[in-house]
Amino acid sequence: MAKMTNQVHKRSLWRTILQYKYFYIMVLPLLAWYAIFSYAPMYGVTLAFKTFDYREGILGSPWIGLEHFRTMMTDLELRRAFFNTIMISLVKLVTHFPTPIILAIVLYEFSRVVARRVFQTILTFPHFISWVVLSGIIVNLMSRDGIMNQLIVMFGGEAISPLVDENSFRPILYITHIWREIGWDSIIYLAALAGINPELYEAAEMDGANRFKRLLHIAWPGIKSTVAILLILHVGQLMSQGASFDQIFNLYSSPVYSVADTIDTFIYRTSFTTGGDFGYTTAVGIMKSFISLVLLVVANTIVKKLGEEGLY
Amino acid sequence: MKVKKGKLITLISCTALLASMLAGCGSGNSSNEGSGNTPKNPETNTSTNVDDPYKEPMEISIASWDIDSELSKLASDPLAQEMLKKFNITIKPVNTTWDDYAQKIQMWASSGQLPDIFAIDAIGTQYQRKWIEQGVVKALPDLAKYPNLEEFFKAPDIEGLAVDGKQYTVPRRMFPSVDWSALDRTVLYRWDLAQKAGITKEPETWDEFKAMLDAIVKQDSEGKKITGLTAAQVKMIGGFFWLYGNPLATSDGSGSDYKWIEEDGKLIPAVFSKNALPALQNMREMYENKLIDPDIALTKPDVSYDKFVSGKAAAVLIGGGFINFDGNVNTKRWEKAYPGVDITDNVKVLKPLVGPDGERHHAIFKTYWSESYFNGQISDEKMDRIMALYDYILSPEGNDLLTYGKLDEDYKIEGDKKVAIGDRPLHEKYPTRNFFKNLVSYETSDTYDMSNPSITNEKIRKEGVEYIDWILKNTKVPNYDIRLTYMSTPTKDKFNVLDHDDLLKVMLSKEPVDKVWEGIMKDYKAKGLDKMIEEVNAKAAEEGIK
Repeated sequence: MAKMTNQVHKRSLWRTILQYKYFYIMVLPLLAWYAIFSYAPMYGVTLAFKTFDYREGILGSPWIGLEHFRTMMTDLELRRAFFNTIMISLVKLVTHFPTPIILAIVLYEFSRVVARRVFQTILTFPHFISWVVLSGIIVNLMSRDGIMNQLIVMFGGEAISPLVDENSFRPILYITHIWREIGWDSIIYLAALAGINPELYEAAEMDGANRFKRLLHIAWPGIKSTVAILLILHVGQLMSQGASFDQIFNLYSSPVYSVADTIDTFIYRTSFTTGGDFGYTTAVGIMKSFISLVLLVVANTIVKKLGEEGLY
Repeated sequence: MKVKKGKLITLISCTALLASMLAGCGSGNSSNEGSGNTPKNPETNTSTNVDDPYKEPMEISIASWDIDSELSKLASDPLAQEMLKKFNITIKPVNTTWDDYAQKIQMWASSGQLPDIFAIDAIGTQYQRKWIEQGVVKALPDLAKYPNLEEFFKAPDIEGLAVDGKQYTVPRRMFPSVDWSALDRTVLYRWDLAQKAGITKEPETWDEFKAMLDAIVKQDSEGKKITGLTAAQVKMIGGFFWLYGNPLATSDGSGSDYKWIEEDGKLIPAVFSKNALPALQNMREMYENKLIDPDIALTKPDVSYDKFVSGKAAAVLIGGGFINFDGNVNTKRWEKAYPGVDITDNVKVLKPLVGPDGERHHAIFKTYWSESYFNGQISDEKMDRIMALYDYILSPEGNDLLTYGKLDEDYKIEGDKKVAIGDRPLHEKYPTRNFFKNLVSYETSDTYDMSNPSITNEKIRKEGVEYIDWILKNTKVPNYDIRLTYMSTPTKDKFNVLDHDDLLKVMLSKEPVDKVWEGIMKDYKAKGLDKMIEEVNAKAAEEGIK
């Protein structure tokens, strides 16, 4: 019986594929991309259990078991980088995640379409500038003769160097991240808001709902599921994109390593500056991916428990 | 029919896209076609004619900094063409940049895609040791056949690079001895502004230097909120601040070139000597008294030169000695900012200051910087051809040709001097001569000669020549054994000392210097400092090094 069902299922799957063959053909390049760039290189993760030998390559390098993971446990620099990654990512999530939602709602409330477009363009623009360029601008703004210090001195304060100060470095990361991404990240929420039936607003207005009530009972429920999905995605990428390598690498210096060195910058320095074993840095990368996976599952479960649709 | 046609177009487009993606993924580095991931099988020998060793044409791939632009005029350089024809070779450039060369080469090494020759500064690093152990780089053959190369390897710190009696690299020699390292970290200061601030004597001691900076900063005669000393790169700062009583702690910034001294009967890295603390305190005091650029932690070469020339910094710590003074400071900036004003009257080069021990010290590095490595996969025949080319470039004939051009066409000999003929600059006539010269060796010291036109401003050239003469007569290099720096022990092979990072941390911290330094030492101990010292002492005793 089970065999028969299976056969029917198989047949129907092939039939579906045949029926939608052009869609399947269209999806082929994407599948090939994933296969080539995401799945094929995965054999490299075995390096985490090997010591890299240039002569033998990834497959032929000798196995050393869990040695890299044992070394990781005693590596103080890695411990610090790990803590910083979690800290920077979490604070970024808390400070940044709500801002595009608020911005989208504020922009949506603009009755003038032109003003909305102008603000949206201005706020989206920094997203398209790379961190290499942006960091140059930030360094200049915050240098001793930069505009920020000129203003401070003008108002009778004393010039500061926030990029080399352990207390101010992280807040700069959070603020500049919001500045760069707020416009871009708000687009999807604006699209969700635009998808809400305008009749709902009109009806609510007729019933005497004020702007806040309309926001609370129409706009928010309308974008809630989008917010949930994006939250899961953000949490899943917390360890990689949360503590953005590009941003930190271009802004940090040794006086702020204690608060700014993350797993990515640590891996970079260990691999390319001090020339450590690629196996060790692969092990660190695996640990990071594993934590990301756990975070993704946890976030998905929480969102589902809250009654929203999860990723799976 | 229309629908069918549309479907067909969609199908063709998708297939073409997929095919192009796969094709894109499939292309490898053509410089080493056929090479797998493992450098196990060297190229098989092709027939060699004994009578004409260069009968077989060869293509040699070279990875070097900005080689694409360096060799863009190769075809129109008669000198280079003649030389390549002599050895029957063609060059395939593989570009690296100053920002990515170390990463690129490490990636090529790990994927078996290294070019035949590649330039990098890797001595003492963990990966360089692995390259040697695992056959990524080829050992040099017996040098008896290449007399100029053989002679080149006789300098003690170059000879000391041998691993188990074999050399694996040709280092780019800069100077005949480490005394010349003084030129690698020089401080330029604004003498014009110092005079305006009432200073009448050029500084000789640390106190005088600090007093001069203080006077310039306080006077701020141009109203530009001038700061004290800035630096072209962060990794250079140790080359100046350690000179206050701990000169052997100076490092080139690689993290692996730290020198060892004997203290309390034990060999230790000089950075961790008890002389470190006074140097750190002196540096912190300078920072707190606003004698150091507050933005020094994020400095960049061009920014620092701009600051100095525009009067926003009283002094600048630079690398590259008088060549850099001439090029980046004078030609590119000063001459444009102050046309007709002689830079040598207004900018001075700081002579090494008298330290707390009463001696004048300068930074101490190696006699070379960066090295040529050779892909472990290349055949013995190709290696022989490369060695022959290197030997020729080092020979008096090759050196003269690449430095002065052709005899009786570009220069003539008058007594013991070489005098240029004609007005056309050599770099226009032979645009790639410097590349070939620097491929093998820099020989920077040759530039400090009045008959050598490399330093274009004659007054700066004269100052440079006088400066190095003065250095050789008046400064002292403390005793140390370079073999300890090159020594390999399990812990030392993984141990790096990035002293400039530590100096910055001490400089900018708000805690007392001794407390910060204690914390830094604690971090190094956690990374195995004590174990490394034990291993090195044991091995040194075994090998009879004291």
